[in-house]
Amino acid sequence: MGKIVVTLGVLTLFLHAGELSTQGYSFKNTCLSCHQQQQIPSALIYKRYLMKYSTDKRMEQAMFTYMKDPKKENSIMPAPFFLKFPMKEKLLLDDEVLHENIRAYLKKFNMKKRLILEDRSEK
Amino acid sequence: MLRSEKRSLIRFLILYLGSTFILFSIASWLFYISSKHHLLDQQREAVKYEAEHIKSQLRILHQSNAAKLVYPNHTHIQSAIYDLDKTYIFGTFKIKQPLDINKYDNRLYHILKIEPYYLGAAYLMVAKDINDEPIEKLQDHILLFMSGAGIFFTILGYFLGKLFIAPMRDAMEKMNHFIQDTTHELNTPISTILTNIEMIETFGKHEENSTELKRIEIASKTLSRIYDDLTYLNLNHKYHRNIVNLNMSTLVEERMVYFSAMAEAKGVKVIVNTDPDIRLQIDKNDAIRLVDNLISNAIKYNRSKGTLDVTLREDLFSVKDTGIGIGSKDLSTILQRFKRANKSEGGFGIGLDIVNQVVSSYGFVLEINSKEGEGTEVSVKWEK
Repeated sequence: MGKIVVTLGVLTLFLHAGELSTQGYSFKNTCLSCHQQQQIPSALIYKRYLMKYSTDKRMEQAMFTYMKDPKKENSIMPAPFFLKFPMKEKLLLDDEVLHENIRAYLKKFNMKKRLILEDRSEK
Repeated sequence: MLRSEKRSLIRFLILYLGSTFILFSIASWLFYISSKHHLLDQQREAVKYEAEHIKSQLRILHQSNAAKLVYPNHTHIQSAIYDLDKTYIFGTFKIKQPLDINKYDNRLYHILKIEPYYLGAAYLMVAKDINDEPIEKLQDHILLFMSGAGIFFTILGYFLGKLFIAPMRDAMEKMNHFIQDTTHELNTPISTILTNIEMIETFGKHEENSTELKRIEIASKTLSRIYDDLTYLNLNHKYHRNIVNLNMSTLVEERMVYFSAMAEAKGVKVIVNTDPDIRLQIDKNDAIRLVDNLISNAIKYNRSKGTLDVTLREDLFSVKDTGIGIGSKDLSTILQRFKRANKSEGGFGIGLDIVNQVVSSYGFVLEINSKEGEGTEVSVKWEK
């Protein structure tokens, strides 16, 4: 019995560690920790990107461009926003890692997956 | 109503109703197409309105922070949203395929571009089944109108036709009355002449083989036959037939004796091949008119010293002459009344018309084989 408990414990630890190392951990540390600390409304920013770029691929490209070169023209936020808030600093992450983080961000806030159908209601 | 009058009226009605029908059909078809387009446009407008409504619902959904976003789902309407690459995002369609209007069935479709892209949707496609009820109603109305117009124009056409053929009818009635009066007046003197010739022949107050007497006899018989034909034609449409089991062999032999003087005068050699006791269900007067007209024609149009073959079998009666024949172009019209292929001999051109009437009345088959300059064979066939 003791052996089974130990085996399951080790397996869980490995699985959890794998997830954190691929996306979650990196994304959480690189992006979310700072966003949460600064109370940046990530969901709202996602909605703005979605409204402007429609597809994940386009959104990813636009975010990547902004992260690599943060300036008003590349930002999703309106120009008056920067009168109040400072421009974000340039990220020094590796391109591949940055892409991974953006994809994790898009996955986390994906609105399309929240869509459901309910019983038809008479209009 | 006379036969020719009925034929003219039917021809007029066919022409009049046919042209009216074509005209009304074209007008109705154009009206139907235009109205159908109008009805479909109305339904398309409704679909567009639905699309706008769904778009506003998508905007609200986009702003929602709920964990589950309930997609707008309306009865009778199906919809789906597509991203900028036209990839299917979500919707109520059974088939989840990229946006391509050409791939869909014949429902009513409307594609609405959405900007900004709420929920990432760049396109909204709305589909609705075509409501056939108003189109079917329209078809019913058009059919009802066509039926009403058809009845109205048939009645109108009938009265118009009667009005148009009235002068023709008057003329024909006058002619019929004239023929009736003339034949009635001819009957007495012809009968008197024939009776007296018979008396002279019976009581021997004449020279043997008197040519003059023979000529008088032939002429009188010809007159008598014309009288019978005209009376038959005049009374045909109101004539009551007395069908009997007639011995055709006896009748043909009797009629050959009747025509013997005429054939003899022209030097025509008569060959009679009649099977004995051939019986036919026929009115006697009809049979006499049939046989007489064929034999008299064959004698009349035969060449001098020609041959006349009369055959009567179980299933046919045929008369073959060696006369002038009938041209191939006249063969198709020879059965019409007052039609005479050759005017070298006297007559009214009513003989073959009478034969044709008798043949048609009894369902017999009439066959005419003729070669110009060689002769004609007319056969009447019936089922055994």
